[in-house]
Amino acid sequence: MGAHRNVVRGYADELRLFGTPAARAGLVAMVVVFLVLPTVVQDDFWLSVLIYVGITAFGAIGLNLLTGYCGQISLGHAFFIGAGAYVAARIGGELGLPLPVWLLAAAVLGAALGGLVGPFALRLRGHYLAIVTLGLVFIGEHLWRNLTGITGGNSGTPVTAGASLGPVDFGALNLFGEVYSRNQGWFWLVWGLVALVALLAKNLVRTRPGRALQAVRDRDQAAEVIGVRAGRYKIGAFMLSSAIAATAGALFGAYQQFVSPDEWNLLLSIQYIAIVIVGGLGTIFGSVLGAIFVGALPALIDRYSDAIPGVRTGVGSEGFISVFALNQALFGVLIVLFLVFEPRGLAGIWLRVKAYFKAWPFSY
Amino acid sequence: MERVSSTPLLEVRDLTLRFGGVTALDAVGFEVGPGELLAVIGPNGAGKTSIFNCLCGVYRPQRGTATLDGEPLLGRQPAAIAARGVARTFQNLGLFGHLTLVENLLLGRHHLMRTGFFSGMFWWGRAKREEITHRAAVEEIIELLELEPYRRMPAGMLPYGVAKRAELGRALAMEPRLLLLDEPVAGMNLEETEDTARYLLEVRRELGLAMILVEHDMSLVMDLADRVVVLDFGVVIATGEPSEIQDDPRVVEAYLGGAA
Repeated sequence: MGAHRNVVRGYADELRLFGTPAARAGLVAMVVVFLVLPTVVQDDFWLSVLIYVGITAFGAIGLNLLTGYCGQISLGHAFFIGAGAYVAARIGGELGLPLPVWLLAAAVLGAALGGLVGPFALRLRGHYLAIVTLGLVFIGEHLWRNLTGITGGNSGTPVTAGASLGPVDFGALNLFGEVYSRNQGWFWLVWGLVALVALLAKNLVRTRPGRALQAVRDRDQAAEVIGVRAGRYKIGAFMLSSAIAATAGALFGAYQQFVSPDEWNLLLSIQYIAIVIVGGLGTIFGSVLGAIFVGALPALIDRYSDAIPGVRTGVGSEGFISVFALNQALFGVLIVLFLVFEPRGLAGIWLRVKAYFKAWPFSY
Repeated sequence: MERVSSTPLLEVRDLTLRFGGVTALDAVGFEVGPGELLAVIGPNGAGKTSIFNCLCGVYRPQRGTATLDGEPLLGRQPAAIAARGVARTFQNLGLFGHLTLVENLLLGRHHLMRTGFFSGMFWWGRAKREEITHRAAVEEIIELLELEPYRRMPAGMLPYGVAKRAELGRALAMEPRLLLLDEPVAGMNLEETEDTARYLLEVRRELGLAMILVEHDMSLVMDLADRVVVLDFGVVIATGEPSEIQDDPRVVEAYLGGAA
């Protein structure tokens, strides 16, 4: 006879990711939304917003592992994202290798670059590490503008990487006689990968290496004394985070089909910092929430700029702030507001709401 | 007190540590037998915690040796020394504040586990098996130290006395051969001190661990210790059983000053 309540009978039960009926219901809901959404929302504008949000969520999970879990601040995320995009351009586009190959190649290159930067984290912390990683963005911009053979220089490069996984081409899906648009296919591809990397990241943070990362964040010297090699985990976190960032960059390039060096600037790094802070440092779910919130904002503002008072929609038109400047300012405002009022981010708000309903009708 | 074994577990010889012109430890030597509880006492700044920091690999002493079961400890990385069976607690708490009590204890078992980045990410298989085995081992410590009500509480939110006990638990989770306790009852009231003494006695009885205890609470030291080392300005001024130490005029002078 099955138990009526959600009883934990052993450690294996306790360790399940979706252990409660509510969590399982949530999982089912997410899967349904994932499968059905592109067939309901067929509008290309909305689908492309969702795809960019998905790619951003993917990259934000990487930054959250580094900054949220391991406590290493990095302003260099844009550099790794850019590097990944060029891998997609050259290995996926030029050489015409299939999707898994260029994704993996981007991850490997990202890990290698992260491994080069990681050792700085052994000597520097806090603001100093932020400055060093900030330097990466500018070194990157120089490289991207001058390595014309790889990046196309200032004028950018087309990315013609294919999105086929075996017989399934996400760029032109044809399933059971139904033909789907490129955006529909890419929605499934990107959000499927987000789910995959979120699962891997969640597994990581609840096992030995993830605990070690968090121990290093909380107290690196105490971590050393109880047997955690803090340096190794700092470098590991940098490599993993950069690998994820580069993979996100590869997806970004392949979806956008054209990339130029202007895209990998400091603003992109700050956007990612805003996402992990708004979403919630040290939570995987928060990275996705933050990406949806922060990532969708610029697109929405762009779309509805004529309806927002004071926003200039074109040169010489009315208003005191351009769409671009408004977006930039919003990231700053969001970072400040969340740090002051809700340091645990959207994930913290979510936890509070959940706790409220769990205890309902009692207040705690 | 009978000496059970003639070969000591820990042997410290000629340990000398200088910070610039200040000699924190000056040719300090002592030994700890298997299962023995050695107390290190001395006024503030005598170098008690410095000894721990040398043994753990946090400080690099200029001179001296320390061997655990004949294996040299000094010159190794802190994590390597931890893996060789030296565990410690910190004077002002070294718990990981954002992690739960169970996660803190599991971190104590970090060096006994093998899951790396890749096997951790893929969960099914080794990572899961390891998590379950070590979770069970941690539960025994939770039981021994009566930490059951706090399992899922973030360590940063534990009451002070419980946090101290949790730190002892994390050190025990490491399955050490030698346990270094840095002021385990500092800041505790009488009742909490008595509780801690009871837990320490229980740990000794159940696990037979060798321990070094740095403590200012003299009644605790005199009740628990097999032998006492007295340190003053980095120099060992007396070593002996508690009863001998209590009446030693040099010790009285170090503590109360020359006029006493």
